[in-house]
Amino acid sequence: MTKSEIQDYQTVFLVGPPNSGKTSLFNSLTGKSFKTVNYPGATVEYYESTFHEKFDIDAIVIDSPGIISLSPSSIDEKIAIEALFNHPIHGLPDLLIVTIDVNQLSRHLYLAKQLIEAGFNIVIAATMTDVLRKNGCNINLNRLSQSLRTDVVEIDPRTGEGVKELVELIKTKTTNLITIPQINVIEKYKNDQYLIETYKQIEEIENNTIFETDDIKNKENVESANNELQILNTSVFIRRKRKIDSLTLKLDKFFLHPYWGLLIFFLIMALTFTSIFWFAVPIMDFVDLVFSLSSDYARTLIDNVWLSSLISDGIISGLGAVFIFVPQIMILFLILGLLEDTGYLARGAMLVDRPLSAIGLNGRSFVPLLSGYACAIPAILSTRTIPNKRERFLTIFIIPLMSCSARLPVYALLIAFLLPKDDLWIGGIILAAIYIFSLFSSVVAAIIANRFNKKIIKEEDNSSFILELPSYRIPQFAVAIKQTFNNVLVYIKQAGPIIVVFSIIIWALTFFPDYDPVIENSDILTEEQIQILKSTERFENSFASEMGKFIQPIMLPLGLDWKAGVSILTAFAAREVFVSSMALIYKVTDDEDEAIRKSLINSMRKAKIEGSNQSVFTMASTIGLIIFFVFALQCFTTVAIVKKETGSWRLPFYQLIVYSVAAYILAFITVNGLRFLGIP
Amino acid sequence: MKTAADLTFGEKGIINSIDLSHPSSRRILEIGFTPGQEIELITRTAFNDPLAFSLRGSIIAMRKNEAASIKVI
Repeated sequence: MTKSEIQDYQTVFLVGPPNSGKTSLFNSLTGKSFKTVNYPGATVEYYESTFHEKFDIDAIVIDSPGIISLSPSSIDEKIAIEALFNHPIHGLPDLLIVTIDVNQLSRHLYLAKQLIEAGFNIVIAATMTDVLRKNGCNINLNRLSQSLRTDVVEIDPRTGEGVKELVELIKTKTTNLITIPQINVIEKYKNDQYLIETYKQIEEIENNTIFETDDIKNKENVESANNELQILNTSVFIRRKRKIDSLTLKLDKFFLHPYWGLLIFFLIMALTFTSIFWFAVPIMDFVDLVFSLSSDYARTLIDNVWLSSLISDGIISGLGAVFIFVPQIMILFLILGLLEDTGYLARGAMLVDRPLSAIGLNGRSFVPLLSGYACAIPAILSTRTIPNKRERFLTIFIIPLMSCSARLPVYALLIAFLLPKDDLWIGGIILAAIYIFSLFSSVVAAIIANRFNKKIIKEEDNSSFILELPSYRIPQFAVAIKQTFNNVLVYIKQAGPIIVVFSIIIWALTFFPDYDPVIENSDILTEEQIQILKSTERFENSFASEMGKFIQPIMLPLGLDWKAGVSILTAFAAREVFVSSMALIYKVTDDEDEAIRKSLINSMRKAKIEGSNQSVFTMASTIGLIIFFVFALQCFTTVAIVKKETGSWRLPFYQLIVYSVAAYILAFITVNGLRFLGIP
Repeated sequence: MKTAADLTFGEKGIINSIDLSHPSSRRILEIGFTPGQEIELITRTAFNDPLAFSLRGSIIAMRKNEAASIKVI
């Protein structure tokens, strides 16, 4: 049977253990035209691309997730492994390129051996030979090729060396002949004795192919050097050949030091964190400006009132709410990608595994939790690297408590309200206190959720932390940028439609019934003041305010009125929408030409609960509102993503109930506790 | 018998056997901790858990309770 009878294109799969240079190779083979695809019906993703045009091959390259063997340790791995044997979209692979790091030859050959045994058409790409040579050893690739009975090419994807030779080999090896790999080879390896035997065979191959360069200097050629060394005590010999990169060992003395290790870790994280805010804020201001200008411009273009309002207030503002977070997400993932590429991130996960496992999490939960400080959406997606389901679900459970960037504008407004003058120092301290409080709350939430594991998480699994610590390397920007781009795309695709749709719904609720108010004394007011009075009047008569009046009894115990209640409800589209809703609801005409936030704060000070003389926003109720925002899960995108990632409504349902109730009760206790203490 | 979790910083040991009743034992074997291999404890971190071992030219970190399933001589 020939492949062309079934499919008219060739497929080349990249397979290899983590840290074997697979991703770098994918980059140098493909150029920029890659795309991310989900396996049908699964959350697992893979990259696929055509070859870079300079190679002149008409085939598709597929990069699957790194695996150490054909026996899966998680559901994601199972899907990736089964796809090797029969890809749901591309069918049988024409060729597998198996990457192996020659410095870890025996461990990486284990997967290669299994694949060869399964009957795949294989080319082995040997990477990081330069590191091996630097450490005084070398490898005889001809021998390796003979022992494995498959082609072996030496490559350095970072410099592009050997990639051309690999491509030539791919051309000759992707003939039209199909080999059908046997998946039942996995069964054999379930026998521990078979596994150990395989490793013994691999050690023999390792013994015959890797040699110390010092020895050749004294011998005539490699052959005799190897023959003689066979007689030596193999275990001593092997030990000398399997040297760990000396720079890595030196660096680990610092990075994994009993005292300095943790300190360096916290410094790196603090630096990562502050740089997100430093670099992102000016870009975010710019994005904000672009969208508010285009919103204003769109309004002037269309005469039809409701259509122009839909486009500028509903759609463009909604898009603005989506794109405002792109800078932070981008910077966070760029830094994380670079840190991962250096090899440090694995060490960070190891350092915090002990404290995190004490509250039922895993060292691998750390990166997702950190990402949660930018945005919960990519953070929840990145929990896929946690193999244990219970720990993964628990991590997802507490991610909404991480103080995401959408809360920042809300806190900024409320803190500015609390402080009489623009006191940046105290404001910063209050903000830091909120962040620390949210971190503390998430620890408590994890402990409680872990206690009620049977109800909330409903997963039991072997808790495990086995992780390779790769050698330190200089990070590659190209790889980090590719991953960053991918994460941003995922965020826009997942969160974008939901935020825009909710933005339109909320617009409709505040716009209809299309009420055209009559403004008195319009002759003494400016055009702008009339516009503002009109939109406030409109709002007072909208469906949203009808709904708001309905929830007034719920808001009163928190010291708030229905207007604040409506703003909180609209914040379910995205938390920062709270600020623009407040601006819409409370905006009053001011003579002075003030910034929006300032005039909003002024009108917040004047706001009274209807039918009484009591101020809505007091010290107590504002602090209560901050507490509310720390806990409340006001983000429909998060709910949708959690449902998608966990495969059921149970976890997002629990999150929504638990966090909403907690937010309400804790805000209630805060407000009334403060009032009891005499704080208004 | 002594286990990998009992090794002190910089101490080497030869793997004698793996306790197959440990749920992580297959993973431990597959990653290369097979009988006869030499391992060395190369880290001592703040909490001393997980531990990191050099094995077959790689550094592998694992929790103390997982390391305890590796019997060494």
